[in-house]
Amino acid sequence: MTRLFTVGLSHRTAPVELRESVDFSRGGAGEALAALASRGISKEMVVLSTCNRAEVYAVAGPEGPDAVARFFAEYHELPLARLTDHLYVRRGEEAARHLFRVAAGLDSLVVGEPQILGQVKTAYSAASDRGYTSSTINRLFHTAFGVGKRVRRETGLSEGAVSVSYAAIALARKIFGDLTGLNVLILGAGGMAKLTGTHLKAQQVRQITIASRTLAAADRLARQLDGQAVAWTDLTAVLSTADIVITATGAVEPVLTRASVAEVMRPRRQRPLFIIDIAVPRDVEPSVGDLGQVFLYNIDDLQGIVKENLTRRSSELERAEAIVGEEVAKFSAWLHSREVIPTVVALRDRFEAIRQSELARLEPKLAGLPPEARARVDEITQLLVQKLLLTPTEQLKAVREETLISAYTDALNRLFGLGAEEPSAEAPRRARVSPIRRD
Amino acid sequence: MHLIPLVLYGCAAGTYMAHFAGRDRSIGRLATALLGAAVLAHTFIIGMQTVQVGHAPLVGTTAAVSAFVWLLGLAYLYVELTTDERAMGVLVTIMLAVLYIIPALDPQVTSRPDVLRSPLFTVHVLAMLFAYASFALACVLGVTYVLLFNEIKAKHLGFFYARLPSLQVLDVMNGRVVTIGWIFLTIGIAVGGIWATQVQGSSSDPRVQAMSPVDPKILVALVSWAVYSFALFARRAIGWTGRRAAWLSALAFVIVLLNFVPVGYFLTKSHNF
Repeated sequence: MTRLFTVGLSHRTAPVELRESVDFSRGGAGEALAALASRGISKEMVVLSTCNRAEVYAVAGPEGPDAVARFFAEYHELPLARLTDHLYVRRGEEAARHLFRVAAGLDSLVVGEPQILGQVKTAYSAASDRGYTSSTINRLFHTAFGVGKRVRRETGLSEGAVSVSYAAIALARKIFGDLTGLNVLILGAGGMAKLTGTHLKAQQVRQITIASRTLAAADRLARQLDGQAVAWTDLTAVLSTADIVITATGAVEPVLTRASVAEVMRPRRQRPLFIIDIAVPRDVEPSVGDLGQVFLYNIDDLQGIVKENLTRRSSELERAEAIVGEEVAKFSAWLHSREVIPTVVALRDRFEAIRQSELARLEPKLAGLPPEARARVDEITQLLVQKLLLTPTEQLKAVREETLISAYTDALNRLFGLGAEEPSAEAPRRARVSPIRRD
Repeated sequence: MHLIPLVLYGCAAGTYMAHFAGRDRSIGRLATALLGAAVLAHTFIIGMQTVQVGHAPLVGTTAAVSAFVWLLGLAYLYVELTTDERAMGVLVTIMLAVLYIIPALDPQVTSRPDVLRSPLFTVHVLAMLFAYASFALACVLGVTYVLLFNEIKAKHLGFFYARLPSLQVLDVMNGRVVTIGWIFLTIGIAVGGIWATQVQGSSSDPRVQAMSPVDPKILVALVSWAVYSFALFARRAIGWTGRRAAWLSALAFVIVLLNFVPVGYFLTKSHNF
């Protein structure tokens, strides 16, 4: 019996050093897929590899998960023993639940982060483009994309910035709309200045200007950020044209006083000025925030926003999990209706074989009939088989409970000698010691 | 008959509120659909009235309020469909529903006295109403600008922060609708003046004779023209953008609204047809 399953490790089960050494994306998605396919474990498979997880989704027989676990070890040239404690296996419905939670960002390190859905899509198209997917995996992943979209649309799980840099950028967007035409001034040339500058550069602002007490340090950072460095003495001039100011100096006394900012605000007229003070101790006098068109945020304010957003996200968890649960139920119903299909097909084949063999046996007796009458006999026997199978097939497809399905298929296999699959093969294999932790 | 648009405008306002609070996209679409239905029903009523009296129902303050609601509904729908931004819908639809109570209570249309039988009169009324509709949008944009500005300034990011577009967008849109409104207001006043001087020689109607810059309705219209002219000048020449422009457009609309309803009903001697 073939089954959907997933084997993998993630930030929840494996330390970063191990995750780094189990990175399928290093050699390219195609290579990992080809290597896995060459093992003949499965015809349908997707390899999902991000910096926080490495997972294989596949449809195979009961030995599939263990074989994939060995593939994890051998592909990355690691001893299997190093992986066993960190690998998890999910089967059937639970595999689907796992993927849906991953796609919705519920299993991410930062819950609700939106990149994962794109990564899942990429992993899926890498497999489907190469012909490694078929009905079960196709349906599974398309449902997962839908779950990801639903959770994003119907819950606030992905809303609000959850890092200080993004909180600052989100604020800047709320004030200025598009950031592309803006002038950014960075005071200080240390690590924090560089980090924030890099984030802003990614937003394609017009100009980044760096001012530092030591011009050489400002020059160095300016080169890294494609910006310009100015001398500390020119501060007033650049301040009057800046839209966003980031202060991150190591100064003990405030470098921007109310008087100095008020002075540059007059020629700015009503143009807002967004000052982000990420220095500790603070670089900007708090009273600067009282000036009409100045928005002043310090590191505590930004961290407060981040904390609020995280709280809000966690309050949305329940709704997101409910959506996942709903979709798992739907997918599971479909999956179960698929499970009986091999039995239905085998049953139909069996009946058809009997019909054919009986017709062949009766051939001498039928030979005397005119051709139209022979066609009638063929038609009637066909109809008979169809009628006989109609109700059992419908009943079988309607069964939802997993144990009941296997009981029914077992019974049919035995009663009609459908022999293609050994009914009791699964039980002893499950009992065998597996290299994978069960959870 | 007038109750159907009133109910629809009311439902649209309620749905826009629900959308604003819950931010559910399908509720947002429902709100737009309801507003569309309200405007459509309203169009039907205006059409019926046109057939009934044989001309556009623009005579008298009640008819003008009705036409204003209709124009503002259309103008807002246009803005919403082109910008895909529903946040202003709450304030706009509340304004529509409240103002529509007036024509709903008094559905009678007055027939046009002969003196108003002039294309200049129609142009005057329509231009004025379109200007007022633009100023109404500017007011809504101004109010939301101030609300958002205060939230960001106070570092208390909450309700409006999550729901409104950026300050910059609100400001640019505000500037645009004030300009459009000012152009129509100028046309409306100029055409009104030309028409009044034309008919004052030939008609002995006391209302026509009362048309002068000191009539309350005309006086306040001139005041609002001055205020909006200043707003335009201040934005371009002395950099009154952002919060000042927002406040100005919100307060200026109060003058417009006062002129439209109380002055139109109780004080004017020239515009009570």
